[in-house]
Amino acid sequence: MNAPKLSTRDLCKSFQKDGVSIEVLRGLNINVAKGEFVSIVGASGCGKTTFLRLVNGLIRSSSGSAMIDGREVTAPGSDIAFVFQQDGLLPWRNVIDNTIIGPEIQGRNLGEARDLASSFLNLVGLRGFEKHYPHELSGGMRQRVNMARALTAGAEVLLMDEPFAALDAQTREIMQTELTRIWSETGKTVLFVTHQIDEAVFLSDRVLVFTVRPGRLKEEVFVKLPRPRELALKRSPEFGLYVDRIWRLIEEEVRESIRRETEEALLAARR
Amino acid sequence: MISPEVRRWIVSFGVAAILWEAVAWYLDNKLFLVRLGAIGERFVELIQSGELISDIQVSFIEFAGGFGLAIIIGIGFGVLMAASRRVRDLFDPWVSMLYATPTIALGPLFMLAFGIGYTSKIALVFLTAVFPILINTLAGLKTTDRNLLEVVRSFGATPRQIYFKVRIPGALPFIIAGLRVSVARALVGVVVAELFGARAGLGFLIFRSAQSFDTAGLFVAVFILAICGVVCVELLKWIEIRLAPWRFNNIEED
Ligand SMILES: Nc1ncnc2c1ncn2[C@@H]1O[C@H](COP(=O)(O)OP(=O)(O)O)[C@@H](O)[C@H]1O
Ligand SMILES: [Mg+2]
Repeated sequence: MNAPKLSTRDLCKSFQKDGVSIEVLRGLNINVAKGEFVSIVGASGCGKTTFLRLVNGLIRSSSGSAMIDGREVTAPGSDIAFVFQQDGLLPWRNVIDNTIIGPEIQGRNLGEARDLASSFLNLVGLRGFEKHYPHELSGGMRQRVNMARALTAGAEVLLMDEPFAALDAQTREIMQTELTRIWSETGKTVLFVTHQIDEAVFLSDRVLVFTVRPGRLKEEVFVKLPRPRELALKRSPEFGLYVDRIWRLIEEEVRESIRRETEEALLAARR
Repeated sequence: MISPEVRRWIVSFGVAAILWEAVAWYLDNKLFLVRLGAIGERFVELIQSGELISDIQVSFIEFAGGFGLAIIIGIGFGVLMAASRRVRDLFDPWVSMLYATPTIALGPLFMLAFGIGYTSKIALVFLTAVFPILINTLAGLKTTDRNLLEVVRSFGATPRQIYFKVRIPGALPFIIAGLRVSVARALVGVVVAELFGARAGLGFLIFRSAQSFDTAGLFVAVFILAICGVVCVELLKWIEIRLAPWRFNNIEED
């Protein structure tokens, strides 16, 4: 096998909060090949977002490391782009100026960036909206700008944190097919966090199931469904089998997470 | 064609003017309420004598000087306090205290210290106007949306880029809102400063008129001040909407 595009070695993270240490991630060893689409699923609070932020270099690990092309990640750079759960568009910038912010920050040629941004806005179906402001767009459109912005940064690795969570079910399905199309056209390496199991199966080559906090790798599931994938695939029996299998893996974790949440809420109420 | 808003204003003022005239006619007390016509006549007289022009000039210089200084110092100090924890810790108690103090009460002290001319007036206007600007600048720079910060950081933004691309544009609407509050306070500052002693100015015109039982002259000054206040506040509101339309998008009037 070729050297992985993205990898982590014994990655651990603890947060200090009010003098107490919370262990969020423990000993993660993950390899993602170039051009691979990998999803992460896990109960809420298990450290998925923290994992992406570590890989991006937004926060530092407690021990272990994340690597891109074998080089350790120490700070955010131009080789990784992050698609956040909240679109995070600057409200005072129009769509095109929001889309080119990556190249702008990295000091690259703005004319070229604008051309690139236009082509990606076109790709996500937003041609003609370049001069609109975020508050004039729907949630789905803003999320597509979010995606075009990450693509325009030109990074080979895309980290996506529940990018479709805030969308209604129909828009989400459309966005899923759009994303698979864009991914196959651009050959990006994608790490995609979601809490929707069917979304993970539909998009991914491989699904990583995390345990409850501290997040560890519970199991990985290779999704051997043919590509290109159409929405109709979701109604096939094979698809259902994958979803069932991952759901069984995750069920116990989710129950544990709910139990903890209740316990913590009760504790907080008593205080 | 006139817009519904303009029509509302006209109707509202029309009704008020009729009521005014009716009450003035009924009371028939020229010391308390004079007819609008008398105010208009007095206005023309004051213009012709040149008095009003020089009063407006003087008040304008005091207002512009004090308010301009308040903008420069208020924004400058707000930026400094947002940038440095030490500066903030040092000045925060003073800012909170002085903001809550009716600084206008210092007027007589300023007359004693700086004399009866422009300096004392500008100082008082500055002091009444600076704190809302300072506090809003600080608040605007400190309440930047975390999501936006994380986005630009993820693209590798330097602290300087974060400041100029996110924090400052995000703070602008706050700063304009601060100016809107300050403008009204600055106008009050002008009038009160002149009441404590002056040679000319709209506040002094009010004082003069009251001394000589010239109610019409007093109302001339009051109306001019009211119009200035409304124009400034509306202008800043307009700028605020232009600058940050997203903040007004979800607000519904009923
Ligand atoms: N900056 C932080 N400081 C303290 N605790 C944090 C911080 N970020 C995340 N956490 C905690 O780490 C845990 C995992 O959070 P997160 O990675 O957001 O989970 P997920 O994305 O899987 O829902 C949560 O319990 C959260 O409260
Ligand atoms: Mg999360």
